[in-house]
Amino acid sequence: MKRPIRWTVALTAALALFAGLVLLPFWLVLTGSVKAPAEIIARQPTMVPHSFTLDHYAKLLAASDYPVYMMNSLIVASVSTLITLLLAIPAGYAFFRMSFPGRETLYRAILLAYAFPSIVILIPLFGIFAKIGLIDSRIALVLVNVAFALPFAVWLLRSFFAGIPAEIEEAARLDGGSPFIVLRRIMIPLVAPGIAAVAVFAFVTAWTEYVFASVMILSDAKRTVPVGFSGIIGQYQIDWGLLLAGASLSILPVVVLFAFVGRWFVAGLTEGAVK
Amino acid sequence: MKLPRTLLPYAFIGPAILFLAALLVWPLVQAVVLSLQDVRSVGTTGKWVGLDNYREVLTDGTFWSSTWLSLVWVVTNAVLQTVLALLAALALNQNFPGVRIARTWIVLTWIIPTVVVVMIWRWLFSTSGGIVNPLLIQAGIIDRPVGFFARPNTAFATLVFINSWRWFPFITLMMLAGLTRIPGDLYEAARIDGAGPWKRFSRITWPLLAPTLGVLLVIGTLLSFNVFDIIWLMTSGGPAGGTRTLPVLIYETAFKSYRMSEAAAVAVLATLFLMGFAVVATRWLARPPEAR
Repeated sequence: MKRPIRWTVALTAALALFAGLVLLPFWLVLTGSVKAPAEIIARQPTMVPHSFTLDHYAKLLAASDYPVYMMNSLIVASVSTLITLLLAIPAGYAFFRMSFPGRETLYRAILLAYAFPSIVILIPLFGIFAKIGLIDSRIALVLVNVAFALPFAVWLLRSFFAGIPAEIEEAARLDGGSPFIVLRRIMIPLVAPGIAAVAVFAFVTAWTEYVFASVMILSDAKRTVPVGFSGIIGQYQIDWGLLLAGASLSILPVVVLFAFVGRWFVAGLTEGAVK
Repeated sequence: MKLPRTLLPYAFIGPAILFLAALLVWPLVQAVVLSLQDVRSVGTTGKWVGLDNYREVLTDGTFWSSTWLSLVWVVTNAVLQTVLALLAALALNQNFPGVRIARTWIVLTWIIPTVVVVMIWRWLFSTSGGIVNPLLIQAGIIDRPVGFFARPNTAFATLVFINSWRWFPFITLMMLAGLTRIPGDLYEAARIDGAGPWKRFSRITWPLLAPTLGVLLVIGTLLSFNVFDIIWLMTSGGPAGGTRTLPVLIYETAFKSYRMSEAAAVAVLATLFLMGFAVVATRWLARPPEAR
């Protein structure tokens, strides 16, 4: 089936618009991070760098604890992802493959938790964590990140669990498999794409979180990238080269992660997540 | 140990439910308790003051202007994000070389830290090397560089743009889910009956996408209402309180003015607004489609 020419033109124009809107800022940041300072603040911005320098990166790494922030962020995001998965997978299995009294109510309660204004619990949670000695601890960040990622994670698993034919589960059960074995041997491999989608969501939620990390963490050695970087921004206000280098470095890990599992995440969102 | 069959589902969902209860519900209860006391900074104890904080908040003009700003924030973000996401989803629902790559990487704006989003756009909107001013001058929209964050209205509009930039790809993907579920034969049949592109959109795409749009509008509203970090990092609620939405007001009251209990009262009121909206909205969405 062929598309009329004017629709091809319209489609191309729309795609160009969105490519520009999404990619142009990143292109300018990445190229800006290797431009000489004078070129960065030029009145007419250059699309292709005329100069090349790695000074900004060298200065960033020498002047700040950026690698430490990066390490903290990776630890916090990875552990948060792991715990989210450990909680969300069994919950998803029960919600979407079993029937039990209270299922609807509990499921709706979890959805409602997604609507939760996070800033509301910042104040009381700070008090609670202070009481049990979790202030200035990365565990506090993990707990908060899991709480924010979990409701959506359960929701995201819905279409993946629902898509598995009942016969497969039935057959496994008749063979004498306990529900735990059915979950581990049959279900988890079948919903692997959904698990990847949840993992990306949980990782990104933790990787980008700023507010709680800025309030709960006090010592510089435990700061995550968002908080550490905002400190650098405050210190080097208009040293755009250094800031652009920092921005580029913080984009890198998630882009690498996304290159591997991004398509599963997209599949998780598009293949029937909205119901 | 062997669990009775009937208890098994609860063993599976139990950990998740308990976790959320401990980290979301319990703090919410604490927020209500705090809002009935007189606590100024974290860790100190206060005395019971009943509904005094609520009286204080509800008679304060700042609370109402923040509520109004939050409302405007939610509506403008919803409109801009829906328009952008719908256009992008319609484009990505076509077949063209590289469509899978485009579908994956459109969410690039959403996977980077908000601190970085803010830093990037502050630079792009700045008068030193930023691209926005030269582009607008070239397009003839303005004749000299503009300080976007200098005035309340432009600061607010710029923040709506930046927040929408971050979130619209996420909405796009979920819209795409709705689009891919519309059977292709419908379009084929309409084409054979001689329906033009506009008619196909208005008679097939739009009505069949409407339920998805409804769900997304609810989710989008809740997500935008809660946005705090982008606003705080960019303008801290300024200039002149022009971007002080309710989450910003809560943070400011608690951590800048050290009036924890008052902040908790605002937070409880905000939760009531939001939960009320969520309950009404889900009930509206749960109605059978033909009744809508």
